Amino acid sequence: MRYRVLSFLKLKFLFSLILLVSVAGCEEEKKNHITIAAAANMQFAIKEISDAFTKQTGISCDVVISSSGKLTAQIKEGAPYDVFVSANMKYPREIFKAGFAVEKPKVYAYGQLVLWSLYEEIDPSIEGLSHENIQSIALPNPKTAPYGHAAIEILKANEVYELVADKLVYGESIAQTNQFITSKSSEIGFTAKSVVMYPNMGNQGHWQALDTTQYKPIEQGVILIKKEDSDIINSTKFYDFLFSEEAQKILEDFGYLLDNRDLNSLR
Amino acid sequence: MIDWGPLILTAKLALVTTIILLAISIPLAYWLAFSKSRMKPIVETLVSMPLVLPPTVLGFYLLMAFSPGNSFGAWLQDWFGIRLIFSFSGLVIGSMMYSLPFMVNPIQSGLAGLPNSLAEASYVLGKSKMKTLFSVLLPNIKPSLLTGVVLAFAHTIGEFGVVLMIGGNIPEKTKVVSIAIYDEVEALNYTQANTYSIILFIIAFMVLLSVYMINGGYLKKFWK
Repeated sequence: MRYRVLSFLKLKFLFSLILLVSVAGCEEEKKNHITIAAAANMQFAIKEISDAFTKQTGISCDVVISSSGKLTAQIKEGAPYDVFVSANMKYPREIFKAGFAVEKPKVYAYGQLVLWSLYEEIDPSIEGLSHENIQSIALPNPKTAPYGHAAIEILKANEVYELVADKLVYGESIAQTNQFITSKSSEIGFTAKSVVMYPNMGNQGHWQALDTTQYKPIEQGVILIKKEDSDIINSTKFYDFLFSEEAQKILEDFGYLLDNRDLNSLR
Repeated sequence: MIDWGPLILTAKLALVTTIILLAISIPLAYWLAFSKSRMKPIVETLVSMPLVLPPTVLGFYLLMAFSPGNSFGAWLQDWFGIRLIFSFSGLVIGSMMYSLPFMVNPIQSGLAGLPNSLAEASYVLGKSKMKTLFSVLLPNIKPSLLTGVVLAFAHTIGEFGVVLMIGGNIPEKTKVVSIAIYDEVEALNYTQANTYSIILFIIAFMVLLSVYMINGGYLKKFWK
C-alpha cells in the first residue's frame, strides 16, 4: 500500500515536472519568436534581414511568403503574424483601417521594376516586347501585385500595351512570375529588381532595369499587427530593425531605393 | 456587374474535357475491365494516381513539359507550331489527366459488374466485339456512364491547382472561374468572389443531386 502511495506521489511529481518544463518551454518560445508575413518580392531580402535580426537580438523569425493580397486577407481573418512586410501601401492601409494594426503603416523601401529573360537570344527591352520572337510576357497580376501594376503603366507609357496585350500571362504573385520566367515558359517577364539581385537568380539569363520615371514609385509598406503586449515588444524590435542602417543596407544591396530622393535623383 | 467570361470558359473547358475523356475512357475502361494482362495493375495505378497526387505535382510537371525552354515543349513548337503552356488546349490536356480516374473508374466497374452471359450471348449470335460493346454492354451500364460523365465534368469545373500552375490567368483563355474566385479574394473583392462561389456551389449541388436521383431510381420515368 505504502509502495503504491509512494509511486503515486512520484508520478504526480514527475507529471508536474513535465508540465512545468513544457510551460516554461512555451514561455520561452513565446518570448523569443516572431512570425513575419512578407510579400513575394521580399522573398530573398527578408531572409537576409531576418537572419541579421536574429543574430543581433536572439529572436528567431518565421517568414511566411505570399502575395500581399493573400496575406492581407489572412491577417483580416486573424492569422498569427506579428509584422506584415507588404509590397505596397494599399494593403497595409487596409489592415490599419480594419483595426488590426498598432499604428499607421510606414514605407520602408521603394521597389524597382526589371525585365528579365532566360533566353540567350532575347535582349530585354520594352521596344523588343512586340517582336515576334516573344510569344508570352509574364507579369504579376496587376490587380493584386504592385509590380504588375507598374508593368502595365510602363507598357502604356511606351504605347506598346495594345501591341502586346495578347501576349501577357499573369502570375498570381511575383513568385509565380519568376517561376514562369525561370522555367522558360515565358520568353521574358517583369519582376522586381530584388529578385535578380539575388545571386542564384540574377546570374541566369539577363535583365534590364526599367526607367523609374515611367511608373509610379512602388512604395513598400510595413505594419505592426496588434497582439498581446509581450509579443509587441519583439515585433517592434523587428519593425525598428527594418529601418536600421544594417537592414536598409541589405535592402539597398537588393536593389531597393531607400527614399523618394533616390528616385528623384534618378530622374 | 458580374463578368460571365470565367463561367463560360469553365463550362467550355469542362465540356470539351468530358467529351474527349469519354472517347478515351470507354476503350481504356473496357481493356481494364476484361484484360488479363500483367500490365493491368500498372495501368490501373497510373489511371488512379490523380486521386492521390496533389494537383500541384501534375501542374509542376506539365509546366516543365510544356515550357518551350524544355525539349518536349520545344519539339511541339518546332514541329507543330503549338504551344500548350498558357493555352486553352494545355488546360484541356491537364484537365483530362486530372479527371481521368473519375471517368474511367465508374465505367470500368460498370463493365466488370455485368454478367458474362450478356457478352457471351452476343458473341454466340455472331456479333463482333465492337458491336457487343456499343449495343449490348454500354446500354446496360448507363448509370455508370452517367456517373463518369457527370463526375468528370464536375471535377473539371472544380479544378484549381493545375490551372493555376499552367494557365497564366489570361482572361477569355485560361482564367476559369476557380481562378477568378482566387483572384477576386486576393484583390479583396469579396462580393464578386461570393457571387462566383455561390454560382459554383449551386451548380455542384444540382449536378450531384441529379446523379444521385437518377442512379437512385427516383427519375426512372425520364431515364430508361
